[in-house]
Amino acid sequence: MHMADALIAPAVAATMYSASAVTAGVCVHKLRREDAPQKLPAMAVMSALVFAGQMINYTIPGTGSSGHLCGGLLLTGILGPYAGFLSMVVILLIQALFFADGGLLALGANIWNMAFYGCFAGYFLIYRPIMKSRLFSARGDRGSARIKLILASVLGCVLTLQLGAFSVVLETSASGITELPFGAFVAVMQPIHLAIGLIEGLITSAVLIFVYEARPELLPDVRSGEGEAKASLKSTLLVLTLVVAVVGGGLSLVASDNPDGLEWSLFGNAEAGYSENMGLSEEDFGVHSSAADKAAEIQNSTAILPDYSLSSNPDSAAGTSLSGLVGSAVVAGLTVLICLLGGFFRKKNRCANS
Amino acid sequence: MNKASQARTELLNMEELASGTSFIHGLHPLTKLLVTILYIIVCVSFPKYSLSGLAVMVLYPVFVYQASGIPVSTCFYKLRFVLPLVMAVGVVNPFLDTAPLLYIGGLAVRGGVVSMLTLMLKGVFALMASFILIATTKADAVCAALRKLHIPDIIVTLFLLTYRYISVLIEQVAVMSDAYALRAPNQKGIHISAWGSFLGQLLLRSMDRATELYQSMQLRGFRGEFFYADTAPAALRDAVFAIASATLFFTARYVDIASAIGGLFM
Amino acid sequence: MIEFKNVSFEYENGHKVLNSVSFSVADGESVGLIGANGAGKSTLMKILLGLLPYEGEVTVDGLRVEKKNLPELRRKLGFVLQDSDNQMFMPTVYEDMMFAPRNYGLSKVEAEERVDGVLARLGLTELKHRYNHKISGGEKRMAAIATVLAMEPEVMIMDEPSTALDPLNRRTVINTVNGLGMTKLIASHDLDMILDTCTRVILLHGGELAADGSADVILRDRELLEAHRMELPFCLAGRI
Repeated sequence: MHMADALIAPAVAATMYSASAVTAGVCVHKLRREDAPQKLPAMAVMSALVFAGQMINYTIPGTGSSGHLCGGLLLTGILGPYAGFLSMVVILLIQALFFADGGLLALGANIWNMAFYGCFAGYFLIYRPIMKSRLFSARGDRGSARIKLILASVLGCVLTLQLGAFSVVLETSASGITELPFGAFVAVMQPIHLAIGLIEGLITSAVLIFVYEARPELLPDVRSGEGEAKASLKSTLLVLTLVVAVVGGGLSLVASDNPDGLEWSLFGNAEAGYSENMGLSEEDFGVHSSAADKAAEIQNSTAILPDYSLSSNPDSAAGTSLSGLVGSAVVAGLTVLICLLGGFFRKKNRCANS
Repeated sequence: MNKASQARTELLNMEELASGTSFIHGLHPLTKLLVTILYIIVCVSFPKYSLSGLAVMVLYPVFVYQASGIPVSTCFYKLRFVLPLVMAVGVVNPFLDTAPLLYIGGLAVRGGVVSMLTLMLKGVFALMASFILIATTKADAVCAALRKLHIPDIIVTLFLLTYRYISVLIEQVAVMSDAYALRAPNQKGIHISAWGSFLGQLLLRSMDRATELYQSMQLRGFRGEFFYADTAPAALRDAVFAIASATLFFTARYVDIASAIGGLFM
Repeated sequence: MIEFKNVSFEYENGHKVLNSVSFSVADGESVGLIGANGAGKSTLMKILLGLLPYEGEVTVDGLRVEKKNLPELRRKLGFVLQDSDNQMFMPTVYEDMMFAPRNYGLSKVEAEERVDGVLARLGLTELKHRYNHKISGGEKRMAAIATVLAMEPEVMIMDEPSTALDPLNRRTVINTVNGLGMTKLIASHDLDMILDTCTRVILLHGGELAADGSADVILRDRELLEAHRMELPFCLAGRI
C-alpha cells in the first residue's frame, strides 16, 4: 500500500507530512513524559522484528497465494499506540531510504496511511475497546482473551487497511495524477484491501495469541485493568479531530487549486501486478479479474471522447512538439556523453592509482 | 535464497556502495538530502503532458551517478516496488484520455500515452534520485542530517537502533525460514498452523534481547542520552553543488530546454 | 575488592537460584566462575552488576551494591556480554566505543583519544569505522571487549568470552584477556580457557559454592569436576 513519489503532488505531500509530523510530535511528547529511555530498546527491537517479519511469506489456506505482515497493530498491541507509531515511522523511513519502498516525498502520506490508522484508529476504536470489554467472559479468562484477540486484531486490521486504501485513492486523486475515476478506483482498492486486512488481522492475532499464552505480561491491554484509560482516550480523540481538520482543510485547498484532480468522472482500473505485490492472487484481484473487466465494460459504454479527433490545425502543435522531440534526443546524446566521460575519468583514475 | 537473505544482501550492498570516496560521497548529507527532495518535488510538479520538459531532468541523476562512480543499472532492481503501483495508475491513461496531443509523421499520439509516459518517467526519476542519495550516504550520516533538521532525538536514536537490529533479525528470520523450508519442502510459505509461533517465538526472544540491551546500556552509564558520530560541516562545494543543481531544476521546470535546443536544429 | 556475604536469590515463584554464597576476590586476581547450566553463574554476575535484587551483602571496594551506589559502582565494573550483538547497539564500532566514555562525561576529543588507544592496544584500529553487523564473529567479540575497555573499568566481568570462536580467534581473546591487568571474573564452560586465564576457580553447583581454590588444583580434580557435571579440561585429560 506504499504510495510512490510519482503519484503524489507536492502540495498533497506537504499536507500529509504536516499531519504525520503533528502526530509524531504528540507521540514524542507522550513518550518523554513516560520513561522513554527504558522503552527505546524494546521499540527498536520490535520495529526491526516487524521489518524482518515482513520478509516471511504466510501461506493462505485454500489458495495458492501468500500474504505478509504490515505490522502497525502488532506493534501497538505490544508497545502501546505512541511508541508503536514512532516505531512504524522509523520502519517506513528505512523502507523508503534503503529499499525504495515508498518514497521520500510520499513518506508523510505513507506514515499517515499505515502508521496513523494502524496505531490510533485501529487501536483506539477497535482493539482496545474490545480487549477491555467483558465480552465472552463466560469462557473464562484465557478463552475470552483468545476470542477477543482474534476479533480485535481482525476488525482492527480491516479498519486500518480500509482507511489506508481509501486515503491512497484520495491522495492520488487530489494530486490530479490519474485519469481514473474516483468511484472505480475506490471500487477496486477497497475489496483488495479487505482481503489484505483480513489476512493481516489473522496473522496479527495468531502472533498475539502466541505471545499471550507464553507471556501474558507483554500485552498490556489484555489485563482487565480499567479506569486509567478514559482520560488519555479523550485527549487522543481531541488530537484526532484536530489532525483530521488539518488534513481535510489542506486537501480541500489542494483540490480547489487543482480542479482537474477532482474531476472524478471517468472510469476503469487495472492494478497490474499490484495485487500480486500485496501478496494476493493476480487472478482474483488483478488486471484480468472480473472486477477489472466490469470496469472496462463501463469504460467502453461511457467513453465520451472519440478515438480519433483530427485537429484542424495539426501543424502548429506538431511543430512545437517535434522540436521537443529533437531537443529530447539532444539531451539523450548529452546523457551518453556524460556517461562516457565518467567512464573515461574513472579509468584514468584507476590507472593513476595502480 | 529466501526473501530475508535477499533483503540482507540488498542492505549490505547499499552499505558497500555508500562507503565510496567520490566527490558526491563527500558532500554533506543534509545538502544531498535537500537537493534530492527538491529534485523529486520539481520532477513531480511537471504538468502531465510535458514529457520533453521532464526528459531534461534526467541530466541530474545521470551526472550524479557518473560523478559517484555508481553504475546506473544498480538502481533498477529497486524499481520492483515502485513501478507496479505507478504503472497500474498510469496504464489506463491511454484508454481514458484519447484526445490526440501531437502528430508524428501523420500519426496521432494520444494525450493518455504522453501522460502515462510522463508519469512513469517521474516514478523512475524519483527512484533514481533517492537511490543515489542513500547509495552515497552512510546510515550514520543520514542520522546526522536528520538531527540537523531538528528531528526529535527519540526518533533519531530509534532510527539508529532499529537500523542496527534489522540485520540481526533479518538474519534470524532467514535462518528460521530455511529451517522451516527444509522440513516442509512442498510449502510455499509458513503454514497457518505455525502463523503465530513462527514470528511469536522470535518476538519473545527479541523482547529478551531488548532487556539485555537495555542492561548493557545501563552498565555503561546510560542516562537517556546518545552520542552520534558527527559529520564535517558543510563546505563550499556543498553550496556549489546545491546552487548548480537548483539552477538546473528550475531552468528545466520553467524553460522548455528540449524544445529550445530542438528549435536550433529546425 | 569484591565481597559476597551470604548472598541468596530466588525468583518470585520461589525457585531458589543462589543459596548463601560467600567469597571474596582480591585486587588484581583472575577468577574463573564455573558450573553446569543453571548452577547460578549468570545470576551471580547480574547481582554483582546491580541488575537483580538479592539477599545478603555484596560490596565492591567497600561500596554496597544497591540502588544509590549504582552509578559509582558501574563505573568500576565492565561487563562483556555473551551475545556481542546485544552488547553493541550502535551501528559502528566507533560509536559504540564512544558511548560509555561520553556518558561518563569525557569530551569528544578525550573520548576519541581513549577509543583510539584501546583499538591500537588490541590491534583493532582497522575496525574503527566498520559496521557492527558487518564484522565477523571473532572481530565482533574483540570489538565488544574493546567497547568495555574504553570505560577503563577496574573489574572485567566476562560471560562466556570464548564461545563460538574458531581456535585462532579464541586464542586471540585468551591472549587479550591475559594482557589485562585489572581484576577479572570470567564465567565459562570452556575450562581450557579458564585454565589459561585464571589463577583461581569458583565452582558453583545448584546455587551453592561447591569449591573455591587454585585453578591448578580444582581443574585437575577429576572426581570433583565429574561430581558437578563437568569434565577435566581437554589439555589435561590425556586424550592426545
